[in-house]
Amino acid sequence: MMRRLREAWQGIKVGTWLGWQIESNWTEPFLFAIYAVIKPVAGVLILVVMYLVVAKDGLANPLFPHVFLGTTFYLYVVNVLSGVSWTVVDDREHYGMLKYVYLAPMHFYGYLLGRGMAKTLLATLSVLVTLLFGVVGLGVRLSLDDPKLLVGALLLGLASLAFYGILLAGVSLLIARHGWVVGDVVAGGLYLLCGTAFPLSLLPWPLRALGLGLPPTHWLEALRRALLGSGLHSELSRLTSAQLLLILVATTALGGALSVGIVGVAERIAVRRGLLDMQTMY
Amino acid sequence: MASYDLAVKTEGLTRIFRLRKREARDGAREILALDRVTLEVQRGELFGLLGPNGAGKTTLIKILATLLLPTSGRAYVAGIDVVENPVEVRRHINMVVGGETSGYGLLTVEENLWMFAQFYGIPSREARRRILELLALVGMADRAKTKVYHLSSGMRQKMNIVRGFLTNPEILFLDEPTLGLDVQTARTIREFVRRWLEEHPDRTILLTTHYMHEADELCDRVAIIDRGRILACAAPWELKTALRQEAVFRLRVEGIADAKAALDGMPEIRALAQHAEDGQLLLDLVLASEEALVSVLARLSASGARLAELRKEEPTLEDVFLALVGRKLTEDQDEHS
Amino acid sequence: MSTVKHFLRTVVGRAYPRLVGVWREKSWLIFDVLFPLLQVSAYVYIYRAIGAPPEFSGFAILGGATIAYWMNVLWSMASQLYWEKETGNLQLYLLAPTSRMAILLGMALGGLTATTVRAAGVILVGALLFRVPLQVSHGALFLGVFLLTLVALYGLGMLLSSVFLLWGREAWHLSNLFMEPVYLLAGFYFPVRALGLGLALAASVIPITLGLDALRQLLYPQLMENFRVLPVEAEMGVLAGLAVLFVFLARGGLRFFENLARREGRLTLRGQ
Repeated sequence: MMRRLREAWQGIKVGTWLGWQIESNWTEPFLFAIYAVIKPVAGVLILVVMYLVVAKDGLANPLFPHVFLGTTFYLYVVNVLSGVSWTVVDDREHYGMLKYVYLAPMHFYGYLLGRGMAKTLLATLSVLVTLLFGVVGLGVRLSLDDPKLLVGALLLGLASLAFYGILLAGVSLLIARHGWVVGDVVAGGLYLLCGTAFPLSLLPWPLRALGLGLPPTHWLEALRRALLGSGLHSELSRLTSAQLLLILVATTALGGALSVGIVGVAERIAVRRGLLDMQTMY
Repeated sequence: MASYDLAVKTEGLTRIFRLRKREARDGAREILALDRVTLEVQRGELFGLLGPNGAGKTTLIKILATLLLPTSGRAYVAGIDVVENPVEVRRHINMVVGGETSGYGLLTVEENLWMFAQFYGIPSREARRRILELLALVGMADRAKTKVYHLSSGMRQKMNIVRGFLTNPEILFLDEPTLGLDVQTARTIREFVRRWLEEHPDRTILLTTHYMHEADELCDRVAIIDRGRILACAAPWELKTALRQEAVFRLRVEGIADAKAALDGMPEIRALAQHAEDGQLLLDLVLASEEALVSVLARLSASGARLAELRKEEPTLEDVFLALVGRKLTEDQDEHS
Repeated sequence: MSTVKHFLRTVVGRAYPRLVGVWREKSWLIFDVLFPLLQVSAYVYIYRAIGAPPEFSGFAILGGATIAYWMNVLWSMASQLYWEKETGNLQLYLLAPTSRMAILLGMALGGLTATTVRAAGVILVGALLFRVPLQVSHGALFLGVFLLTLVALYGLGMLLSSVFLLWGREAWHLSNLFMEPVYLLAGFYFPVRALGLGLALAASVIPITLGLDALRQLLYPQLMENFRVLPVEAEMGVLAGLAVLFVFLARGGLRFFENLARREGRLTLRGQ
């Protein structure tokens, strides 16, 4: 038991360190900082322009702060979900490392979790910068009326994202190089289905029902309530904040269990089919 | 000899790699990879570059193959300056690097090879004929339709070899072609290389290796390279004959930890290498004459060593390397690894 | 053998893995059509949420389809040589006595064909799903603008490939950096004129900017009267100029950066 824990810790430690090195040491710190700022801010600016062009009251539209906040925290979804699943393809086909990681006496799952941690750190930087830009540049007013809800939702949401990212990494083990988009597809799907930038009521009912069953919908709604004092989706308005947190606890636990199961199965299939050092570029 | 009569000619070829500040090694910001290398390879020759890892073999090949520029000096391939006219050089050459795969995993062996043939302008029908012929020669005829990512590393290497020969190059660079391969695959590749040269006597191969028996078995001439410098260049038999005037002994001794220290300062010792094995010390000695052995044994005995085995050996290229460099090729690899 | 024949053989040779690859691993179809479609759908709903006229949904769908090309240029053209270097193919390409432009062109044509299937899928499904009006007023002109945009865009891709020849992991991150900021500057999801004429003109260095603007003008002439950057004919002229410029620069760039990389020993440097 102790040895398993030690191996898991070793995996997390190495994964985090390596992930951070790969993400950050390709250029000078100054350029890296610019890179970390430009991407997320540009993403938000697309929405800003859309609102300015079409919405009658521009950024004063009551939807805008909710849309801004959803899009900002969605950066975690992109980075962590897509990032962790991409890790598998990158390690396998680019660095040729996956097989060595796999056979090292550390926990493979822990290693993926560590890579997710590095992505989370990087995403945190982007989220903070974007929030700052929103408050200072776009006049979004944030309140901290419910810090417990903020911290609780944030931590549960991040853990949940890491678990689902690992789950996707398991899937990526089995598919070709272009499978890196599996993370992007899921992230893109979540952007749509979770009503990240528009009210869920606009979606046709089957999609709306699906969106209401997805953890990031509740996560983003909880964060909106914590930082703006109100949510975006009328469908969730009857839930109390405590109920929202409870749903997050349940979905995070489910994500954890599913990720362990799916990575385990994917590992076995990958070993059986010899996919750990597959080269599928074309 | 004029450069156009030769397959390869280099004059004072030097390559220095500059490091960034944070990559500096012991404060040094430069690595001297090639140090004034002057070399001539005749047309039709199978020429070997023998040296340990990091000796500069691959750097030299890369310069000759137009993938890297020298810092100074000149290099000609098929009489053409590799710096001035790389495009023209490429019409005459091809290269195979051991341990590397080529092409795309999703394509079949035949498709990958066909793709490379297209880059050399070989008509499809002719390319397919050559591909099948060469695959048969390396024992891979039944793998033509197999996707590359299903191949073993030995098979991939054979495919890579076929890619090099497919274009029927005037001059072919083989950089450690049997690196990391099993004995049987390495032998197949060596036999294939030899047979190809017999059938194409006007072609030239420049082969780098750190396997002495490979150089010994295949090469018409060998240049021994270490730390960027060519130390000797001749036919393997000539190099070994030169050493025959000296005496090569293998000793196995016990009761001593460092024979090098014990024998230090003896002028009759041309070269000495030692390594421990099963509690004993194995010594490779190159002596100025057989008579010198007596004083060597006496010195060892005085240091507390007991002789367990003594053999007089016919010199090998390994001994040539030892005599030239002062350490064994394999010893260097141990250090590197 | 004639140079032209050799050039064409190289183009076909390099395009082949791209074409065969996409059919051999069909899972891309799900991902590559689905991913842009999901994004496009989200932007359609954002417009609906703020009561935008249906033409704006058309903007988003057209932009989403065009993103497929931009992604292809970034990931399968610009940073491709970085991948080729990492897998050992780059040195074999450079070793071959053939035109580098032919190799890049083969790469471009192979990728372009596959991407067109993807983009068509996005437009078709998007238009049907959201019942967006897509009525082309001048078919031939529309096709001309589209093709010109692609030539200029893939010309830029070739130029970027040559620049990226030098780089290692930076290339990957630069491609990543060229996503959202370019989506913004090129007006993938909104008429670029909204950024202001000056910025829109500056962003025109990205061929998609004017290409999209012209296509939108031809699709929604009335709405675009207030949003157009330049008249369609002028935009076509600029696009043609960009196409020639990029291909010319790519040619020179390849030579320059290959030499630089040879001097610095970066052509075969791996694992950066």
